[in-house]
Amino acid sequence: MKKQKWLALLAAVSMAFAVAGCAENANQQPAEGEKQGDQQAEAQSKNITIAYSEGGQTMDPAEANDLTSDTLVLATYDQLVTYGVKTVDGAEIAKTDEIKPMLAAEWKVSEDNTTYTFTLRDDVKFHSGNPVNAEAVAYSFDRVKNSNSGSFLYGMAAIDKVTVLDDKTVEIKLQRPNHMFLQIIAMYTFSVVDPAVVKEKGDDYLKNNAAGSGPFKLEKWDPASEAIFVANKDYWQGAPKVDKVTMKFTKEASNRVMLLDKGDVDLAIEIPPKDVEQLKQNADLTVRSDASNRILFLAMNTQVKPFDNVKVRQAIAYAIPYDKLIHDVMYDQAKQLKSAVPSNTPGHTDAGFVYKHDLEKAKQLLEEAGYGDGFSFDFTLGSGFQDWEDDAVLIQAELAKIGVEMNIEKVARAQFLQMQKERKLTSYITKWTSFVNDPGYHLGFLLYGKGSSNYGNYVNAKVDELWEQANNEPDQAKREELYKQAQEIITSEAPWAYLYEYNRIVGMNKDVKGYIYYPDEVIRFYPLSKGE
Amino acid sequence: MFVYILRRLLLMIPGLMGIVIITFILSRVLPGDPAIMLAGEQAPPDVVEKIREEMGLNDPLYVQFFHYVGQLLQGDLGFAWHTGHTVLEDFATRFPATLELTLVSILIAILVAIPVGVVAATRKESVIDHISRVFSMIGACVPIFWLGLILIYIFYSNLGWAPAPMGRISGDINPPTDITGLYIVDSLLTGDMVALKESLAHILLPAICLSTGTMAIVARMTRSSMLEVIGQDYIRTARAKGLLERTVIYKHGLINALIPTLTILGLQFGFLLGGAVITETIFSWPGIGGYITDSILATDYAPIQAFTLLSAVLYSLINLSVDLIYGLIDPRIRYE
Repeated sequence: MKKQKWLALLAAVSMAFAVAGCAENANQQPAEGEKQGDQQAEAQSKNITIAYSEGGQTMDPAEANDLTSDTLVLATYDQLVTYGVKTVDGAEIAKTDEIKPMLAAEWKVSEDNTTYTFTLRDDVKFHSGNPVNAEAVAYSFDRVKNSNSGSFLYGMAAIDKVTVLDDKTVEIKLQRPNHMFLQIIAMYTFSVVDPAVVKEKGDDYLKNNAAGSGPFKLEKWDPASEAIFVANKDYWQGAPKVDKVTMKFTKEASNRVMLLDKGDVDLAIEIPPKDVEQLKQNADLTVRSDASNRILFLAMNTQVKPFDNVKVRQAIAYAIPYDKLIHDVMYDQAKQLKSAVPSNTPGHTDAGFVYKHDLEKAKQLLEEAGYGDGFSFDFTLGSGFQDWEDDAVLIQAELAKIGVEMNIEKVARAQFLQMQKERKLTSYITKWTSFVNDPGYHLGFLLYGKGSSNYGNYVNAKVDELWEQANNEPDQAKREELYKQAQEIITSEAPWAYLYEYNRIVGMNKDVKGYIYYPDEVIRFYPLSKGE
Repeated sequence: MFVYILRRLLLMIPGLMGIVIITFILSRVLPGDPAIMLAGEQAPPDVVEKIREEMGLNDPLYVQFFHYVGQLLQGDLGFAWHTGHTVLEDFATRFPATLELTLVSILIAILVAIPVGVVAATRKESVIDHISRVFSMIGACVPIFWLGLILIYIFYSNLGWAPAPMGRISGDINPPTDITGLYIVDSLLTGDMVALKESLAHILLPAICLSTGTMAIVARMTRSSMLEVIGQDYIRTARAKGLLERTVIYKHGLINALIPTLTILGLQFGFLLGGAVITETIFSWPGIGGYITDSILATDYAPIQAFTLLSAVLYSLINLSVDLIYGLIDPRIRYE
């Protein structure tokens, strides 16, 4: 009886396998590798695989605000204008203050710098085959205006009205002259979407699908595992040099390093600084480590005792072990920050930066401020970044030497952001990347009295005046001079202890060419090529 | 029996209601504002406020709760802000991967741990017993993330036996036709041998990694309950009757010793479902684990609540089936 049961089961299983053997096989073609071996090898060399850490949140240009989402958008969409590129030490990097034509072949600016008239190229079609026209531009800008994430950039660009003059001409009126306008509309947020497709499929369609005119078409996007793009062969700037780009979402940093080391991916981003030296040993790899716009600083709330005293803040700046932070924590993959504005930004100056690790000087300043016996203060550490934690501990140890007790309170990232917004933190470390590479944008958020991200509550009437004056100054040289004056004041008043500027580390196979560093840290897939 | 099952299923309802209430409250108590996460760090306060209003976060808590329960009753699990998809969509793509990983881990644990436990018990104090004890100890206390990285380092990076730790199947292989969402089952059903081989190769390391803890516990449990059973009178009787040692051990001994093991396995299922979080991150396994971690970090309420609810349902069902299997193994257990 028992035996019969087993036999029956065995028979059933073998039947299942036999039937299965005859069933349609979904994987016939890779199973027999030899029949198209050469062809496949050739095709493979034109595919690029890139390891990313995160899967992204949306494909909608107006809502994208994380690195992966921005990358997805830039691969599939075009913008009116784009950034220039320059070569520094043999490596190509973006020149964001030079604006080049993209969908707009040319533009005119009115006398008072408030009206821009763009003339569109007439040879550009969306992936759907619909022509890219003035109506599409107006439609896309309107979406940004009404969006959640992108609307603040719309405000930042000071756009008043977008008018369709004719099929190929669009006029954008500004509320006031704005030297950042062109730099802002070159961002992914202002990508031009295909109105016909959106109207047909609904607004939500753009969350998971692309309706652009860009160099790649979206084939698959699964935030849990991968995104696949295929080349748009009819791209108006010429077909991309690779046929397919695959983004692999690999959260664990050590895995990204291993995959790159083994050659299973062609390019990997967010390489931990400690692994850079090891990767450089691999002769098949190139490691690019570019100074980025991402800065790290220790902010002190200037409205709270004892940080309302400028000497106390300066004392803290003298107690920071700058070399240790850069060498021991960042493995030299960072550079000392010497102004509130990153050194990559046109208009940066480190004039007035006098701080170095000098505990004697720090003590003396504390004495002068009336805190000779030291004091204790609260420091809030947001989780999620290992280097912040290491920095905080090192700084805590140095401060202890001058009698200052730093109480580190560690909170989750989400909680940290909320506490920051409430503007009640006494002191904290945070990073910042200015997407628009301009001191006006940067300082306007962070250190302008009414800046929306001025969580340290720094207010200086002179700085505000300089910023406002610069904002209305059309001449670039004069403008930069004003921003430089503002930076000097800020540096001397030390609302922040400057820590460092991060490097953007990208590891890639030697065969991969065309990687260009952009300050927004988004990789543009179009210039990439592989082989030869 | 049918009445028993029905009663158990009905008893699940108050439990699930409790879970709905508790997860709702707990997730609102989580510090952090989802609107800030959604708007992006550089967004000004008025944009954040607009989003809060749109998301209904400015409503009183009880209004939000009734809204949520109303949605649930319509089978709507809500919207995941941090991915921009409905929770149902996200779960549909990710949950099968986690389920498959968990099931394979349990299977590995059963296949390895029960025989090891039996051998360790029948050859008490032998070399095998000691070795199994040492391995159980290591298995129970080794951190999953460390084990995972070591496994990847040895079998992928050094020996090159395992495929790259990137998901459930290699990039150039098509996944099997979607029927259940479980790649192994689907590829068997469609007879896609290429996909079967690939998915087995990909699941092996993460499943081993995930199952080590369970393996250790099940092996120790099997050993101790086996030892207890072997000392019973009926085993002596069976031996005295002149039955083959194998029959005595497996038919009379193991079957009776399985009940505590089964209980442990039932409990471990829930544990594995949670433990998958780390394993999935390390092996880039596109399951629910990483998704839930991200949701918590982004204070995205809907997916957290939905996952807790789903886990509770699954866990209750597994417990029910464990109770029913007791009856199959031991005829003395009856359900009225």
